[in-house]
Amino acid sequence: MSRANAGALVAIAAAAAIPVVFRGSDYLLNLCVLAGAYSIAVMGLGILLGYAGQMSLGQAAFFGIGAYASGWLTTQAGWNFWEAVPAAMALSALVGLCVGYPCLRLSGHYLALATIGFGIITQLVLVNWKAFTNGSDGMSGIPAPAIGAYTIDSYGAYFYIVLACVSAGAYVSSRIKATRPGRAMQAIRENELAASAMGIDATRYKILAFVLAGAYAGLGGALLAHSIKFISPDSYSFDASVVFLVMLIIGGASSVGGAIVGAALLTFLPEVLRPLKNSYIMVYGAAVIAMIIFMPQGLAGLLQAVIARFSPPPDPGSETIAARPSAQRS
Amino acid sequence: MHFDSIANLQLLINGFAIGSIYALVALGFVLIYNAVGVVNFAQGDFVMLPSYVAISFLAPSVAVFGVQMHWQLPPLAVYLLVIVLMTGFALLFNRIAYYPLRDRGWMPVVISTIGVSIFLRNFAQLTWGSQPLSFPSPFTADTIDFGGLHVRPQDLLIIAVTATLIMFQYVLFEKTSLGKQMQATAQDRTTARLLGIRVGRIVAFTFVYSVLLGTISGLLVAPVFTVTKEMGGLIALKAFAASIVGGFGNIPGAIIGGLTIGVVETFGGFYISSAYTDAIAFVILIAVLLVRPQGLFGERVAEKA
Repeated sequence: MSRANAGALVAIAAAAAIPVVFRGSDYLLNLCVLAGAYSIAVMGLGILLGYAGQMSLGQAAFFGIGAYASGWLTTQAGWNFWEAVPAAMALSALVGLCVGYPCLRLSGHYLALATIGFGIITQLVLVNWKAFTNGSDGMSGIPAPAIGAYTIDSYGAYFYIVLACVSAGAYVSSRIKATRPGRAMQAIRENELAASAMGIDATRYKILAFVLAGAYAGLGGALLAHSIKFISPDSYSFDASVVFLVMLIIGGASSVGGAIVGAALLTFLPEVLRPLKNSYIMVYGAAVIAMIIFMPQGLAGLLQAVIARFSPPPDPGSETIAARPSAQRS
Repeated sequence: MHFDSIANLQLLINGFAIGSIYALVALGFVLIYNAVGVVNFAQGDFVMLPSYVAISFLAPSVAVFGVQMHWQLPPLAVYLLVIVLMTGFALLFNRIAYYPLRDRGWMPVVISTIGVSIFLRNFAQLTWGSQPLSFPSPFTADTIDFGGLHVRPQDLLIIAVTATLIMFQYVLFEKTSLGKQMQATAQDRTTARLLGIRVGRIVAFTFVYSVLLGTISGLLVAPVFTVTKEMGGLIALKAFAASIVGGFGNIPGAIIGGLTIGVVETFGGFYISSAYTDAIAFVILIAVLLVRPQGLFGERVAEKA
């Protein structure tokens, strides 16, 4: 078993102990569910930005589409959780396809702005399409999942569903990174022209990255909706997209573990800073600037540097090349 | 659809006024982008911050950190003071959020400007509270009546100041050495440095100039809107859309893009749907990106290989 696989298993085992350790505190368990749902969306953004190098500031819109689709299907159409969540994920992926396609000719700032525009339009639709979304009053009474007669309504039990999804998402993302689609995306990120010259179909892989980012965000959004039971358009604003992006960059843009740690860190950071009362978001803003200046490759890069320092030098070849690319570009 | 020429003229003036604000903020984006190749996501907060600072000295009564202030200084003195303060702030912003990251590509700088934006919005909330504040208008009359046509004097002021600033900028860029150095730096930094231009200083000056464009738009628009910590966000996004509609990096394009978005959105809000007014700018944007990705007037810097 490789070191990375062993590390992942230890992390999953440690996460599985969370509901036991925190069993008295719904507040902490709720935060853990939140961190899990966010980390799925952030992993999706990691595929789009970290692997394929396409900047998106509309990830919260996909998150919202997943939440509203699953919410509507369970409260209005009579579907159950197990049918609605995959459907929500599929819908977000489809929207990802529809957004990804026209955005293909754009990159950099243009793409960032087009995705911001998409996010703002989505939010306006959520507020104004009252028949479907119930407008700014939000959608309430979203049911918890059930297996037969047993309803999973405790945060502790629900956390295991989220954990399973996070683990599956992380597995898929790391497989993508290590296989042809991921390598193709990374080649596009480094130099699209050179990648095309090598025979990589840039259009196809950029669309694939958009679809995956949409699917991940849809899953995260749907999972969160069934946990908090109430959703409203405010939660899916441009600011939320920015938070997803910051989580990813702080964690380390092209690292699966980094995306999860970044999401968890920035979910808990405001809670840790709460003693600062009103000024905590200000400190959070300053912390973001400090982290981007002093940790160029995010927490994942920092961790790698620490590990590299205390372990014998790896074989020259695969490892060093794989670890380097995000240095200048992302 | 009922057609009423007076109402339409009124809408046109409103549209030009708000479009002028978008144009000024768009210029701020374009100048920084041309100088350092980065979009400044905190540009909107440079509209919000000076409005709050000005209110503190102008309003009959305003709470700053919970302390009531009743300064009511003369408006012109306050505007000058705000401009001086914002100049200092721009230099600080350049030094902290841009300078340490200048050699690391555009993404880290974008994230750090997002950090600045989060910081400033919450600094504003902490300092001035979360209630919207109203900015004392420099005019006594709300509207002036020209034979049935009701025009807000503030709208006329906005249009006049914007026109003056655009002329000032033309003279600065075309007729002065400083403006030529700014253009040279924007075109090719390495060559500019070889020619003896002090690129670091020119970039810092560009930041100051951009922040002051934001400041002036803030002081102009604040009496029309209420002042909140979010006021700059949407203005900046639409200004950004305007600069892309006009052709990113293109100065006349930014101005015309801003005016276009202002006018179309005002008419669209009136005739089509007021609920979706804010979406109109982005629909125009996406349409332009699909049909003519280089913008109406072409772009200066290619970024879409």
